[in-house]
Amino acid sequence: MGPPKRSGYKADRASRKRKKEEEETWAADEEEATADGEEAAVPNAAARDAEKSDEKVQEDEFGAKDYRLQMELKPDNASRPLWVAPNGHIFLESFSPVYKHAHDFLIAISEPVCRPEHIHEYKLTAYSLYAAVSVGLQTNDIVEYLKRLSKTTVPEGIIEFIRLCTLSYGKVKLVLKHNKYFVESPFPEILQKLLKDPVIQECRLRRNVEGDAEDEMITQVQEKKNIPSFGAKPGPSTEAGAEATNVPDDITNFYEKMDNEDEEDEANLQTVSFEVNQEKIEVIQKRCIELEHPLLAEYDFRNDTVNPDINIDLRPSAVLRPYQEKSLRKMFGNGRARSGVIVLPCGAGKSLVGVTACCTVRKRALLLCNSGVSVEQWKQQFKMWSTADDSMICRFTSEAKDKPMGCSVLVTTYSMITHTQKRSWEAEQTMKWLQEQEWGIMVLDEVHTIPAKMFRRVLTIVQSHCKLGLTATLLREDDKIADLNFLIGPKLYEANWLELQKKGFIARVQCAEVWCPMTPEFYREYLVCKTSKRLLLYVMNPQKFQATQYLIRYHERRGDKTIVFSDNVFALKHYAIKMNKPYIYGPTTQSERIQILQNFKFNPKVNTIFVSKVADTSFDLPEANVLIQISSHGGSRRQEAQRLGRILRAKKGAIAEEYNAFFYTLVSQDTMEMNYSRKRQRFLVNQGYSYKVITKLAGMDKEPDMMYKTREEQGQLLQQVLAASDIDCEDERMPGEGGPRGGPGNRRSGHLGSMSGADDAVYYEFRKTANTNKHPLFKKFRY
Amino acid sequence: MANNGIGSSKQDNSSLITQTNLECKNLYEYLKNQPQNVLDRLYIHPAICLAVYRELPELARQYVIRILFVEQPVPQAVVASWGSQASSKEHNYVTKVLTDLNVWIEDSLPGGLIGWMLSPTFKKNLKAALLGGGKPWSMSSALDADKNARDVGFLDSYSSERWECVLHYMVGSQQQEGISADAVRILLHAGLMKRDEEDGSPVITRQGFQFLLLDRHAQVWHFLLQYLDTVQQRGLDLVECLTFLFQLSFSTLGKDYSTEGLSPGLLIFLQHLREFGLVYQRKRKAGRFYPTRLALNITNSQNKNAPILEEDSPKGYIVVETNYRVYAYTDSNLQVALIALFTELMYRFPNLVVGVITRDSIRQALRGGITADQIIGYLKQHAHERMLTADTKQPLPPTVVDQIKLWELERNRLTYNEGVLYSQFLSQADFNVLKEYAQSNGVLIWCNKEKRTLVINKNAHDDVKKFWKKYSKGS
Amino acid sequence: MVNVMKGVLVKCDPAMKQFLLHLDETLKLGRKFIIQELDEHHLFISADILVTLQAKIDDLMDQISFPLAEKGN
Repeated sequence: MGPPKRSGYKADRASRKRKKEEEETWAADEEEATADGEEAAVPNAAARDAEKSDEKVQEDEFGAKDYRLQMELKPDNASRPLWVAPNGHIFLESFSPVYKHAHDFLIAISEPVCRPEHIHEYKLTAYSLYAAVSVGLQTNDIVEYLKRLSKTTVPEGIIEFIRLCTLSYGKVKLVLKHNKYFVESPFPEILQKLLKDPVIQECRLRRNVEGDAEDEMITQVQEKKNIPSFGAKPGPSTEAGAEATNVPDDITNFYEKMDNEDEEDEANLQTVSFEVNQEKIEVIQKRCIELEHPLLAEYDFRNDTVNPDINIDLRPSAVLRPYQEKSLRKMFGNGRARSGVIVLPCGAGKSLVGVTACCTVRKRALLLCNSGVSVEQWKQQFKMWSTADDSMICRFTSEAKDKPMGCSVLVTTYSMITHTQKRSWEAEQTMKWLQEQEWGIMVLDEVHTIPAKMFRRVLTIVQSHCKLGLTATLLREDDKIADLNFLIGPKLYEANWLELQKKGFIARVQCAEVWCPMTPEFYREYLVCKTSKRLLLYVMNPQKFQATQYLIRYHERRGDKTIVFSDNVFALKHYAIKMNKPYIYGPTTQSERIQILQNFKFNPKVNTIFVSKVADTSFDLPEANVLIQISSHGGSRRQEAQRLGRILRAKKGAIAEEYNAFFYTLVSQDTMEMNYSRKRQRFLVNQGYSYKVITKLAGMDKEPDMMYKTREEQGQLLQQVLAASDIDCEDERMPGEGGPRGGPGNRRSGHLGSMSGADDAVYYEFRKTANTNKHPLFKKFRY
Repeated sequence: MANNGIGSSKQDNSSLITQTNLECKNLYEYLKNQPQNVLDRLYIHPAICLAVYRELPELARQYVIRILFVEQPVPQAVVASWGSQASSKEHNYVTKVLTDLNVWIEDSLPGGLIGWMLSPTFKKNLKAALLGGGKPWSMSSALDADKNARDVGFLDSYSSERWECVLHYMVGSQQQEGISADAVRILLHAGLMKRDEEDGSPVITRQGFQFLLLDRHAQVWHFLLQYLDTVQQRGLDLVECLTFLFQLSFSTLGKDYSTEGLSPGLLIFLQHLREFGLVYQRKRKAGRFYPTRLALNITNSQNKNAPILEEDSPKGYIVVETNYRVYAYTDSNLQVALIALFTELMYRFPNLVVGVITRDSIRQALRGGITADQIIGYLKQHAHERMLTADTKQPLPPTVVDQIKLWELERNRLTYNEGVLYSQFLSQADFNVLKEYAQSNGVLIWCNKEKRTLVINKNAHDDVKKFWKKYSKGS
Repeated sequence: MVNVMKGVLVKCDPAMKQFLLHLDETLKLGRKFIIQELDEHHLFISADILVTLQAKIDDLMDQISFPLAEKGN
């Protein structure tokens, strides 16, 4: 399908399909990301993989990789917390007295693989080491501390790997100060090396016209700076007192050194730098990556006198939790703003981190998110946590009527910035203004959902001194996440879900997988029908229907608020209508949505709502503590995490009960749904969540008035399912999702109508015509 | 694990249909099958009487003590009245136990009442055991101080090394030290190993796998019972060996005993015990031996209420995570081999093994004949202390326990029973007759009156056929 | 008169029974093997198919299961 034309019926049909550009977020992820043909520029060193360094290792008689010869046990191994395997995997005892020391360190230098209760696994990668050096860790310190924490000797190969990966990374920075760009480094020899490159020479800006001192660089002594403090802090941490006794001295000493380094080491650092021609920034960035010296972006916002400060501060009521503060300390550790990504679970307060970062930089801020609803939420968050008022915060969306030009904080969507179709005159003007600005900080929400390609477009349009990515999971089924490291910056911080849960910052969730046996009739059809029908058969399985009905009643009696998710619209409508519950899916109008959500929130009689996957991103779900999935999108680990996030916001009285939130996935036994369900769980299982398998819901057989109990009713249901069309069998298709996966360009195409909000009107018209039909609810809304 | 054939997918019908599990007898079950004259000869020894007494159910011990000093039979009705009506089931059970073991015997009282009376040999020698007196136990010869005296620590490591040698051999570990042909014979006899059909080398059986997952005490006891089965073929005297074993079980750890006065048969027996680590001898002809922990309290391995010595419970070393990871703090090849029975191993560090429980690894174990309960039992028994001190205070994550059981259930979704189907009976009466017959003989496995169809156990086919022929002729 | 047949009595849940019927009807095991359907939970089948059948059931179970523990890489 080519880019839609604007006129005529065809365009209207196309617009129905892409009802709202803002809702297409999920399209960006997983299965489609492979369409992204172009490789991001990454340094060669990043392609190094410690995993491969142990291919020659012998397996023992049981098939395990036998590392015993490469690792010599230390006599005092019991008091040291970790093992470093020759393939870069690190195992950490969470019950070690040195856990805290080791944990902070490992988060800085490696990627978490899994963090359940007792023993955590991390992995050293080229990217993680890049992140480590960019927050100020030195090669020797990394090696030394790793040696001290390890129960055994550290394999030679690993030390070599760390050296190779950290040698050139993080040594050179791109700094914008006094509105001039400088390439800066504490290592003169590296700058000299770079300057020998003709491309880089081209980019260098020489103010000195005579050129008598050709290679002379600017030498300067960096002054000691204080890291900014972030708003009000909770009382002094209570953990400090109970330091365990059993910690070897070499670990404690080193830990203190490392801990302080972050903030104070910069005290009297001598650096050299040369100035860069502002127009050649992109060229030099690319060239430096090719030369294995990726430029770290740092923004010395305090010395930026050209860009005006904005008058924004945190409100006194904004209290940062320890992990929020820690993540910000990583970002502002040396008094400048580093670019990078902060990873926090849903419901753990990402937006406060974003708002605080903007209030710290105090320069013009641009916020990018992935839907119109998120734009509204972010605006709310700014008003709640900061002193910014409506006059300072502007929304740039197809609906908002704000006048963005000249504002201090601009909130918009990725698609709004990147789409290539013709814009309205006003939008065109705004874009122009936006492109001319030198933004102090750009906050990128849900950064993992954005394809690298789109992302690169954002970077060419927006000039920003510093970029902060926020996300709940650095997880993509295609592993493209690695590119973000070089496009935004390294991961600065990643929280541990289980720990936040233990401390009551997020809800304690009981996850359960409920097995619903297929009725013989449904299973018979399942075995013979074509693949597309199978989905509908296992979602509509009468036993699953009953389990849903039972769980809803059970939780309504407890006074809980329940959200039922179904990605399949046929099932969504059937379940909801049969049980007489409100439901929201793609075609539901904005006013209906608001009405349903308000009722769910405030009306004590509305305790259960059904939603399709539009609810994953497109609107803010009110607080609920029970979530039931009756059909979900294949094996997406991220959708699962995102949905869990819906009930993670810490509940009142969190300590009182063992669990205060419930997450059910209903699967039909002996069908492929079992497989998908397990696939989805992998990420959360590695975060320490465990899914209880329920093969029989206690009390369900005694529950009166269950639906589809008799053979006749089940038979009728089966007939309805068999009569359903092929489209009914699919998951709800999000606008922009699916379809021919041809050029990535036209996949995301929209047109002016969709940008300006006209789509709603068109859609509304369509619905009106549909309403003349007898059964509007069963009318398909797409073709 | 390739070398022990557990992964072999070769299966015949019979293994799908009938599966025999390891049968663990306790002392009672073992002794009750011994002929009465053997029991009588055993009861000559106070040590055995004491051991048997200690293994009795609590109620039975009560009865024994109450009539120990009564010199005439006690009417059965009186004995029955000692307990309340509510415990009559237990009363019936212990009555049977005491009778089976020949601890008490029926005797008639004047006036025709039937009473219970302890068997005279048992009574006399239990008194001796409890009150002292009688001949000294045979292991009590005095000895000079041993200039090569061994302490408990040494004995413990010696015994576990010896015992693990046997286990190593069973799992086919490459680091094995050979074991004697005699020991191999016992393993084969016990059905813990069998000769490979192709090359005749011993391979582990499903009972063997189950044996490996038992705790150490239960292993020793089971192994000894199997050994005792073979003593008579070796020309040894069963009663003599049993007696010696019981005396050993009452000996003191760390003390040496003289071999003086032991019969030639017992000296051979002693060498066998030495090989398995139940006793330590510096040299074959050292003239003295040290019992090890393995030999102590062997008889009460089944009694979970018995106080377990601190050192008896080895330190837990297994951490199982909710994401199915298994971390075993061990450098013992045997422990690694055992975990590898049901875990996919990934890394081997000097003091840690990293693995993961997968559906495949569990199914492989199940195919090898290990049950889900045995796996769970093993993991619980050896749970790292950390598992018990963490917030959850559970030796194993409940979801992992559930999942292992679900994997087992998944394999047992279908059960098979070889049978013979009878259908198309001419009359309901014919059907009823055959059904009644099969039912009363306990061979009916399925029936439907309306369809006049029934299925009987295949083994009973000949018998039922005969019956049917006879019936058909008659009618 | 009476009809006598040797075979194997299979006991299973209703869904599994449907699976067996499906295998039988579609000749997935190369031939028919169900001698008689008895009731919701029971079937009577030929004895010599047992190994093939069990393998097919294992296949089904393999298909719908997904390794939940990653080996981490």
